[in-house]
Amino acid sequence: MRWWQIRKRDADLERELQSDLELEEEEQRANGLSAEEARHATRRAFGNTTLIREHIHETWGWAPVERLLQDARYAMRQLWRSPGFSIVAMLTLALGIGATTAIFTLVYDVMLRPLPFAQPDRLVTIKEKVAEWSNLYPTLPVSANHFTFWQQHNRTFHSMAIMQQYSVPLGASGRPLQVEALWATPGIFSVLQIEPELGRKFTVDEAQQGHEHVAILTYDLWYQQFAGDPGILGKIISLNGFPYSIIGVMPQSFRMPSIQTMATIGSTHRELPIGVLVPLALSKERLAEEMGDLNYFGLARLKAGTSIAAANAELNALQHTIAANLPADVKATLSAEVTPFQETLVGNNRKPLMILLGAVVGLLLVGCVNVANLLLSRAVSQKRQMAVAAALGASRAELVRMAIRETAVLAVLGGGLGVLLAAAIVPGMQRYLPPALDFRGPLHLDWAGVGCALLLAVLATLAAGAAPAFMVSRTAPQEVLHSGSRLTSESPRSLQARRVLVAIEAAVSVALVLMTGLLTASLVKLMAVDRGFTTERTITATVDLPSESYHDDQKRAAFYREVLERMNSLPGVEHAAFTSILPLMGDGWGDMARVTGDNRPFTQLPLESFRSVSPQYFSAIGLRLAAGKAFSEGDWGKNLALVSQKTAKSLWPGKDPLGQQFSRGNQPFTVMGVVVDARTVSLAKPDPMLIYVPYWYRVEPMAGLVVRTHQDPSEMADVIRQTIWSVDRGVPVPTVRTLGGMVEDSVANQRFEMDLLLLFAVSALFLAGLGVYGVLTYSVTQRYREMGLRLALGAQRANVYWLVLRDGLLPVAIGAIVGIAVAFGSARVVSSLLFEVSPYDPVLSAGAVGVLLAIGTTACLLPARRAAAVEPMQALRTE
Amino acid sequence: MSSIKEPAQQRASVLQGTLDMLILRTLLYGPAHGHQIGKHIQRTTNDFLQMQHGSLYPALHRLERRGWVTSKWETAPDRNREFKYYQLTDKGRKQLAVEESQWKQMAEAVARVMWPGTEES
Repeated sequence: MRWWQIRKRDADLERELQSDLELEEEEQRANGLSAEEARHATRRAFGNTTLIREHIHETWGWAPVERLLQDARYAMRQLWRSPGFSIVAMLTLALGIGATTAIFTLVYDVMLRPLPFAQPDRLVTIKEKVAEWSNLYPTLPVSANHFTFWQQHNRTFHSMAIMQQYSVPLGASGRPLQVEALWATPGIFSVLQIEPELGRKFTVDEAQQGHEHVAILTYDLWYQQFAGDPGILGKIISLNGFPYSIIGVMPQSFRMPSIQTMATIGSTHRELPIGVLVPLALSKERLAEEMGDLNYFGLARLKAGTSIAAANAELNALQHTIAANLPADVKATLSAEVTPFQETLVGNNRKPLMILLGAVVGLLLVGCVNVANLLLSRAVSQKRQMAVAAALGASRAELVRMAIRETAVLAVLGGGLGVLLAAAIVPGMQRYLPPALDFRGPLHLDWAGVGCALLLAVLATLAAGAAPAFMVSRTAPQEVLHSGSRLTSESPRSLQARRVLVAIEAAVSVALVLMTGLLTASLVKLMAVDRGFTTERTITATVDLPSESYHDDQKRAAFYREVLERMNSLPGVEHAAFTSILPLMGDGWGDMARVTGDNRPFTQLPLESFRSVSPQYFSAIGLRLAAGKAFSEGDWGKNLALVSQKTAKSLWPGKDPLGQQFSRGNQPFTVMGVVVDARTVSLAKPDPMLIYVPYWYRVEPMAGLVVRTHQDPSEMADVIRQTIWSVDRGVPVPTVRTLGGMVEDSVANQRFEMDLLLLFAVSALFLAGLGVYGVLTYSVTQRYREMGLRLALGAQRANVYWLVLRDGLLPVAIGAIVGIAVAFGSARVVSSLLFEVSPYDPVLSAGAVGVLLAIGTTACLLPARRAAAVEPMQALRTE
Repeated sequence: MSSIKEPAQQRASVLQGTLDMLILRTLLYGPAHGHQIGKHIQRTTNDFLQMQHGSLYPALHRLERRGWVTSKWETAPDRNREFKYYQLTDKGRKQLAVEESQWKQMAEAVARVMWPGTEES
């Protein structure tokens, strides 16, 4: 039977009983009884019709539901009677559950949600390791040469592919659209186990040079840019200036994480989703490069039943073989690392997320403890009620049910509100997803999140309701009913329980406050660190030259020179410069400088980061020169270089670096200046060895423009675009941002974490304060007479004041010590997230305890004042 | 509360099996409403079995749930009023036969223990 039929069935039943009842009555009357007597006799014969109905309801099998609804109704009535308590408790739970659910959704999406590919657990990424370069690059992308060897000799992989991702202009005329293109070897389709929905995959032939101008569109790009044209196959598009023929369209469900964002370390630059797939055609020269082309992202699928360890072992064995056969001039120690794809995507985002989750669970715990505390004081005042119920024969189980049903209703209401809260918060958290994992479309609360909220509501019921229920279940009716006092006193056990709860709150709060303090101090130090460059009045732009029309260095350099000339002649511009990579956007191109006279194989040479810059780069970002001078446009064509202090010290220890020679590839360079060490790669650590070469020597199609202005830089955005387009309308300018904004963005995630932690810590402190206040106020009310007696016997008001204050602060102090101990115990987890701050920082630890004690004292003051203000005569006369 | 409930439930469960059988047997004569069934059982046993309404109606609903009887609101032939009439189904008839034979075996077994010898002669 369905529950909605119950009402109808019940009406039917009532009618049946009624009609039979009337019949019986008539018969009794026919036997000669008076109307009155007949009715009584009938009632006697039938007994309690409500009971009959209840018994019949039981046979319908819905009695438990009915009892549940009855319990819920009863609990609602009780809660309705004390709206203040109910609202506070409900909101506390809603806040805790909502915040935890929101953070859980984020964590789930990042770390647990399976990737949208078949058997995603078999997908692995492959990275190479070169022992000689491990100081600068612990792991490196894959070399095409090594990849080919693995592909031929492995037995543990089902398939493998290497790929690269670039942002390229799509379309030829006017202002082209910027799209993300993935260049991949044909193996990608069997690695990801996907097929184009329309058309076909790349063939092996199409991965050969000269045949590679075919493209497969993603569904979104096809739908948005080509209006879902069903006849798209065979059409020609212009990609990067070259004509590509469209051979396929991927299914709508295909979503590929951006591999670009994984490669650019320390950047929060958001990429567009991948829009087009093109074959990666490797030239013979590239394939022959044994150590010089570690540039590809390696993705593979394991064979069924193969473990990652087995794949790792095999790949390392293959690497050993490759290394053994390397020619002497590129001798290197090779190894490899196989990592689950998901783990690679999560990267180093795991720890901050876990800390956030821990913090929010802590907040929920404090919330539950607070509700438990409130419930305990309610339980004390309901003691009489419970005693009466027990005296009337309610079993212990029924008493516990009575005690827990309020908590359950609170948790259900709080949980419901929490889910709404989470649903509202979650979409806003999208921008805090690690860029590599932000490829699945809009983030929203899903069943995993709602399930989490439900589980939390149940746990909250148990956590908050257990203590009061336990207390109630031990009610001894005669004791309670005998004591005539209206103010039933709280048992020492219950008081003890409440002190322990306050101590827990204090411990969690202090740990949260300390954590927040540590991260805030880190961020403050990070922002205040001497980064070696300045951001005032400086704006940056990126340009992306189409490869077809700018295929060589001369053409590109000429374009940059023209743009710089026009920019520098603008009235508002102080300095304008190009650089191959903008500050805080990654460490750029790694290469080896060979000092004249050094004949080691090049793999043994120190690895430096190279930057191609235009002369005014140093003055544009305020990067100081320690010695020598910067090159100028007058040096056009000369192979000059500036080195950072670190580079100078390691390449020419104890010598004057100025005038020294080194070679890169087969080009000789003369050092003409030394640049101070700065933090242009990441604020968190000093730059590696840097070498600046002039842009006329070599420039990439992608470059950054830095402009220092005399006025507000944000007004320059349009001027910059217009100037670039006045040279060539076909050059895309994907981003224009102030340098200050880029610095801010580089710590955006830390700031977000800190903001959330701060919010959690403040909430926890507030709740802890509320808890202390609640417990103390209650105990002062209970001890009203005692206080009166003390005062009557000659105690000073100050003594009473201190008595209460000490009573309130003792559990807080104990909790604070425990909290600090817990925080110190987990220092190892946090330390990697800190910047120049020790997890045991004494000032911050003392500060956290101080803040908690201040809050605790504030919460104690009011009850203490009230206790000290007791009028002895009045207190002793009442009752 | 609970201390009174338990013996009552025990008594009901002993009666339950036979009550179902008695109701089914009564309905063999034709459709009847609750009051009639109760009165019939009471009268045929010369008021030995006092019909408890508290167990009669739940029993009727239980039988209906198991599909042994069906019910319909009908106007009584002698009165101008509707009553809920219960009618035996085919399934109910089979069940009656099963319960009857079980009861017979039970009664014989009890009799053999209680009055040994009388059966054997």
